[in-house]
This record gives sequence, structure tokens and C-alpha cells, in this order.
Amino acid sequence: MDDIKWLQGKGKLGIKAFFQDILNKGLIDSVLMPAKNKKGNSYAWFLMNKDGFLETSDPIPPVMTIQGANILKNMTKKGESWSKTAVVLRPCELRAVIELTKLEQINLENIILISFDCPGAYPLTHYISGDQTSFDQKFDSSLYTASFETERNACIACNQFTGQGADIQLCLLGASDDGFMISASSAKGKELLQNVDGAKADNIETQIKKRDELMGKLQKEKDEKRQTILDRFKDTIYGPENLLNVFSACINCHNCRRACPICFCSACYFESKALNSEADNQLNRASRKQGLRMPPDLLLFHVGRMNHMSISCVSCGACEDACPENIPISLMFSLVGRDTQAVFDYKPGHSLEEPIPFVVYKNEEFKESEAHYTKRHQSACNCNTK
Amino acid sequence: MEKIYDSQMKSHDFIKALFEKKIVSGLGTLTQLPNNKGVSFSLLSDAFDIQKCMPFYPIMPANAAIAVSKLTRETSPSQPVAIMLRPCELRALIELTKLKQARLDNLILISFDCSGVFPFKDSKYPTDTMLDSYYQSIKEATINNNIRQVCSGCDHYVPVGADIAISLIGRGVHETLGFSFGTEKGKNIQEKMGLSQASEIQPANLEKLTIERQQNKDALKQNNKISNLDALLDVFDTCISCHACSYVCPICYCKNCYFESQTFQYYPENYSQRLTKKNTLRLPIDRIFFHLGRLSHMGSSCVACGMCSDVCPVDIPVSEIFKAGGESIQGVFNYQPGQNLDAPLPLVTYQEKELHEMED
Amino acid sequence: MSDENEFIPNIVYGLCAWCGTGGSETAAAHHLKYPENIKPFRVMCTGALDPVYILRALFEGADGFIVSGCHPGDCHYDTGNYRARRRITALKTILGTLGLDSERVWLRWVGHGEGQRLVDTAFEFNDHIKKLGPNPLKSRRDS
Repeated sequence: MDDIKWLQGKGKLGIKAFFQDILNKGLIDSVLMPAKNKKGNSYAWFLMNKDGFLETSDPIPPVMTIQGANILKNMTKKGESWSKTAVVLRPCELRAVIELTKLEQINLENIILISFDCPGAYPLTHYISGDQTSFDQKFDSSLYTASFETERNACIACNQFTGQGADIQLCLLGASDDGFMISASSAKGKELLQNVDGAKADNIETQIKKRDELMGKLQKEKDEKRQTILDRFKDTIYGPENLLNVFSACINCHNCRRACPICFCSACYFESKALNSEADNQLNRASRKQGLRMPPDLLLFHVGRMNHMSISCVSCGACEDACPENIPISLMFSLVGRDTQAVFDYKPGHSLEEPIPFVVYKNEEFKESEAHYTKRHQSACNCNTK
Repeated sequence: MEKIYDSQMKSHDFIKALFEKKIVSGLGTLTQLPNNKGVSFSLLSDAFDIQKCMPFYPIMPANAAIAVSKLTRETSPSQPVAIMLRPCELRALIELTKLKQARLDNLILISFDCSGVFPFKDSKYPTDTMLDSYYQSIKEATINNNIRQVCSGCDHYVPVGADIAISLIGRGVHETLGFSFGTEKGKNIQEKMGLSQASEIQPANLEKLTIERQQNKDALKQNNKISNLDALLDVFDTCISCHACSYVCPICYCKNCYFESQTFQYYPENYSQRLTKKNTLRLPIDRIFFHLGRLSHMGSSCVACGMCSDVCPVDIPVSEIFKAGGESIQGVFNYQPGQNLDAPLPLVTYQEKELHEMED
Repeated sequence: MSDENEFIPNIVYGLCAWCGTGGSETAAAHHLKYPENIKPFRVMCTGALDPVYILRALFEGADGFIVSGCHPGDCHYDTGNYRARRRITALKTILGTLGLDSERVWLRWVGHGEGQRLVDTAFEFNDHIKKLGPNPLKSRRDS
């Protein structure tokens, strides 16, 4: 049963007041959340303590510059954080954090995960090159509806838009400028929330009901939308011709891999010596394939990366934001991820206890992957009776 | 000044002749992809798909020096392979050869005077109008509006050190190709192709163009000047530390980049200490350090090809900054990257008495 | 009946060093033959086979790839083949989603003494690939 309190305050100002409050009370030592950059035309992640909490901080920025899971990974990969830190993450960043924790890249000791009902975000390049003030206004006015117009493919196709799974959730869906609900589901979260003074809210039951209804409606809409978008996308990429068409603009820069939170390998196979070869070998390949695109192994990189990580893909869209050629790579990986995750009945980022499918096995499973052997082959008999 | 000979051939005929006369058994050049839209640098082992070759197409999906390095890093080809590259790609290749990342044996380097390339963002698939206006600017020896910023300020646009140099500017891409044969290898090919007695072409007057480019270069330097710490922080303010600029850079060849090594994976103690000192800590750390460090590592060989700016997801003018920074470093050592295979890299050589002005 | 233009598939047969290769040795001991165009590719264990190797083969000229190794429960390294089974499942799912012919990859367990089974698999797969035709990816410059 979740602990729920109601906090007074208008949208982001109310949320920031909450963080300043728990910092002042010493319930946490530091908070990790985005804030405006120096020029004010973008956002960056800031680790802030009680005396350094920025006026320009923004728990729910209209753009995802760096995947939050990557930041948390940098911070805790070498060991647990020395200070008790609250981290504010988008739902997709939260799911990536759960996956990375299972992959032993993040240490959640001393970390309190806070997430929220996410309206989406703008594509990074779009935001940087446009009118940020008007973008910010438009985004902020969608905070209570968890839904806004964007061209960011991963957000359009997203159907996991609440902070479920975090220690504390900021329940903005259905809220108003008077205040919002904050709920804690884990022991860590409940402990923190105990010492937070919620305002008197007689109608908290109504608020909960309202949010649940909105969430149910939105969930259904988004589920259908996601299926439709992915199905339609599949038609455009299906088969070698179409697939290579999509990748014709790709310059093999591997930015998608570096932006991806799940791709944590510092020595990636696709950048290793394994793919080096002698000049004559490459000329042989060129003669076999009617030419060899240089640098080679472009399709191998993408399909191979799918093999390695699509099962943990949380559809955050960081890959597409980073792509210099605007290839719909987040849709591609979401499409493939949908199928590989379904085969193993696995939901990436949902549970720390659910092991990643590649590290476990059952003695009997996936008989359908095996080529069924029925009878002796005719030619085999003939060939061998001479 | 090398003489320019009229080959009486256009690019496809030239490529066909190279294969038919068995001068080469491989060719690396820009080709159109099977979907007839994108282009990429490709290695071809025969004259099968010549119609798809577009050596002068104004797109650089990757610096071709990287492709040549991938081809020849382990071994040289056993038969001659011709590579068609832009001057900056050729310079990058010379630098990579000095850095032992590429080999030039059995390679025939073919370059041409370059009028720039379009950036990916504006023109993934350039329209016919854009292409026509570009080809027109080649013929008229003017600077096209749509090319990369660094291209408009490039004054090394005539190749140095190529075996065969093609003269396009002032002549255009629709005429028969005018060749200069600058090296022994090149002169050999001239003979094999039967061009020893070919008629000469008057070289185009590139003075005005060069002056215009130098003016652009000065303007770029001025506009992107970083005069103090605030300006430095401002220009890299939106940087998301993706390191794409390093990855597409032909000179940045290190598989284990220092800035991605264990040195930069900090222990919790480090974060804690920094936070205590600063109260507010922007993450990830070393955002600016990466750029300054990369400049100091590769600036002496920077050929200002512009790949870094093009690939940056947040539109930071990396190549303009690195071009200016690189040229300052190169000036101190009086070093011109990619112009001379025998000139040693400034950071791997020294004289006992030098650079006293740098000492305090 | 040999047709000059007959499609001879380029097939790679991934065999584990223990049961897979053992199977081929047993086949040899019984004087069993399999088609010449099938190239054995030995790995220590099917669990050591990153599906990326299979992809590399398919993109660079192979028309098909078979994986054979110890039956589940009999893996020489205890659990390698369990891993392989999951990885090949993921690989076939991905190829299916992208329309890249997941039928060009077969997984069939072959025990040390099952020479006949290995040879039958080879013939069966050969016929199967002949029906599917040449792999469209192998002659694409842009792959």
C-alpha cells in the first residue's frame, strides 16, 4: 500500500520547494536533477547539496539532453555514493537505471529514485535550434495531462509514462495549480515521506480516483497508439530492401550506441579489432558483394546491437536524439525490442528481481527455435549407399 | 606548377579505363547506394557499377581517410587500388600514415580541387536545384552558399601530394577531366593511359577564389574567437559529452581514448569531495576538459575537414574552433598537416635548442 | 542432373568442439558423406557463439547457417547450450521482425554419436536453402 501525501504548490515550483525542504531537513544530502545550462538554452544534470540547490533547476525538463541513467552510472559505477542522493528521473530513465543496476553498472545504495508522470519531450536538435521560451511554456502547460504534441518518435510511441517502480512518485496527472500528490511505494521512499509535511487535503481520495481514471484512459490510448505506430513502422522497414533504405543515410558514427544507457560496454565488439581485416580480404568482400561500403559492417553494427541489447531496450529515444542523420533508430529498436522482450515475456526496467533473460535458462524451453528432426534424408541415404 | 592534360574522358570513362587497362584492381570512391538516394564511400573491385560512382558529389558521410585506414591498417593491398579523395581527406590520410594507421603502398591517390561539401543536417539528400547551383559554382570558381562553414574558409582546397590531381574549378564537372600527374606513380599512369602526348589545358585562375576563402577564414576565426573563460563555457554549454566529434575525426584514431579511460571514471569519494567544495556540480564532469584535451592531442594534425561540426547533435561549431586552435598550434611548430609525408609530426620530434620563447 | 546455373548455396555449419565435431567424426567413421558446399565452423561450445558471428556470416556471403552442439543437459561446459538456445531464439526473433529470413538460421542439437543425424541435417538444410534461394543481403554493397 503506497503512502500518499498532498503537497501545496504550483507545478514545478511546488516540486522544487519539496526538494529544498528535504535538503534543508537533512533527509537527503544531495539531489541529482536537471537545471538550465549557463546560457539558458538547454539543460544539464546537476548534483546539488543543500547550499547549492539552483533556482534554475527543473525536475521535468522539456528535453532529454543526456540519459539520466548514464549520469547515475558515472556517479556510482565505481562504488556506492557517499552521500544520500535523491535522483529525479523520467520513467524511461528510471527503467534504464533498473536495467543498469541488474547489469551491475549502477549501485543504488544511498540513492532514492524519484520519478513522475511524463508528458514527453522535444527532440534535442529541434529544441536547441528553436525558440526555447515558447517550447518551455508549451511543455509546462502539459504537466498535468501527461500528453503533449511532440515530434520525438520515442515519446509519441511511449506507453509507460508514469514513475511506477521509483521509490517516490510525483503524481502530476490530473493535478492542478493548487498542488499535487506525492506517493511512496518502497521502504526507502516511505521513510523519507514520513518526515515531509503534507498539506491538509480532504479530497485526496478524489484526487487519487481522478488520477487513476485518467491514467487508465491514457494507458489504453497509448497502448493502442504504440502498437499502431510500431506496426506501421514495421511495414516501412520490412525486408532487406526497405531495411537498407532506412540505413542508407547512416554514416556509421555509432553515436546511437554511445547515447544508449544500456550500451555500457567500454570495449564494444563493433569497434574492436575483431572487425579489422587485411586489405586483400576487404577487396575480396568488395568483389563478392559488388562493392563494399566503407567504413564496413554498418548493418552488422545495427542488427548486432539489437541482438546484444534490444531485450533491455527501454525505448527512451536517446539514440534518435543523438543521430546526426535523423534515422528513426529508436522506433527500430523499440520494434525489435517489442518482439524479443515478448519471446521471453520480459519487461525491461520493471523489476530488480526479474533477471535479464540472457543470464538464466530453463532445462526445457524454446523447442520452437529448434529445427525439428523427423526422418532420414533421401539424399543422405542415396549418397551413402554407393 | 604541374601541367594539366586533357584526358578526353569523363569520370566514368576514366574509372572504366583504370580497370580495363589493368592499372588498378580496386577503387575507393563515393558511390550512390542501391536505393538511389544516399551516397557512401565504397570499395569497388571491378568496373561493374560505374554509373553509381560519384567522386565529386558534395556530401562527405565520413572522412575517406578513415575508410582508407580501415582498408590498409593491417596490410597494403597486393594489387594497386585507386582512391579518390578530397584534399582534406588526402591530408588526413597523410597524417594517418605518419601515425602508422594507414599504408600508402599500392595505393594510387587521386584528388581534385574542392569546392566544399554540404552539411548533413540541411541536405541529407540534396535537391537537383542545390546540386545544379553547386556545380555551377565549381565552373564559375565561386563559393556556394550551402557548404559547410569550414569549407567556405578553407584555403587548402587544391590537393598536394596526390598521384593524380583533377582540375575541376573553373572547368566544371561536366567537361572532360583535366589531370596533373604530380608523382612518379602518377607519371607512370599517364603513360599507361596514353596521355603523355595529350593536349594541355590552361590552368584556371584561382587567385580571386583563394582571396575570398582567406577572407572567410579570417571571418570564421573572428566569429568563433574564444577570448575568455566565460566564452569557452558558453560555446560548449550545450555539449552532451557524446564524443561523436572525436569518433568521426580522422585524426582521432585511438581505440581507447584517454578521455574514456579509467582515469575519468571517478570513485564516489571524488564526487563527494567536489560536491563539498562546490555545492553545485554539473555532470558529467570533464565536459570542457575533453575538448581542450582533444585539441591538444590532435590539434597539430587537424585538417579542418568539418566532420566534427556536422555530427554534433547540438550544433556546436567544433570544427571552426578546432581549425583555429589547430592552426595556432601548427603555426608554432611551422607544421602543415598532410602536405609532406616526410615532415615529422611536431609532437614526436624535437631539437635540442628550440622554442625558447615558450620558456619562462 | 547438374545444371550449370544451379544455385549452390554457401552454408556454414557451426559445430561445437565436443558433440558437434564428434558427430561429424562419427559420420566419417561410418563413411557418411554430406554436401561439399557446407563448411564446418568449429567453436568450443555453442554457448561461445555470439549471434553476431552468425549475422556476419549471413551479411558477408553465407546463404544459411546451422548451429549444432551438445543436447541440452549434456553440454561439455554444463550450461553453454542453454545460453545458445536463448541467444539463437533472440536472433531468430530479430531476423523475423526485420524480414531478414529467420529461416536461414537453424538450431539442431546433435550428439556425439549421432553422425547420421548430422548428415541428414546437412542435406535437409541444403535443400531448404536451395528452395529459399540466394541470400539477398550477400550481394548488397550497402550492408
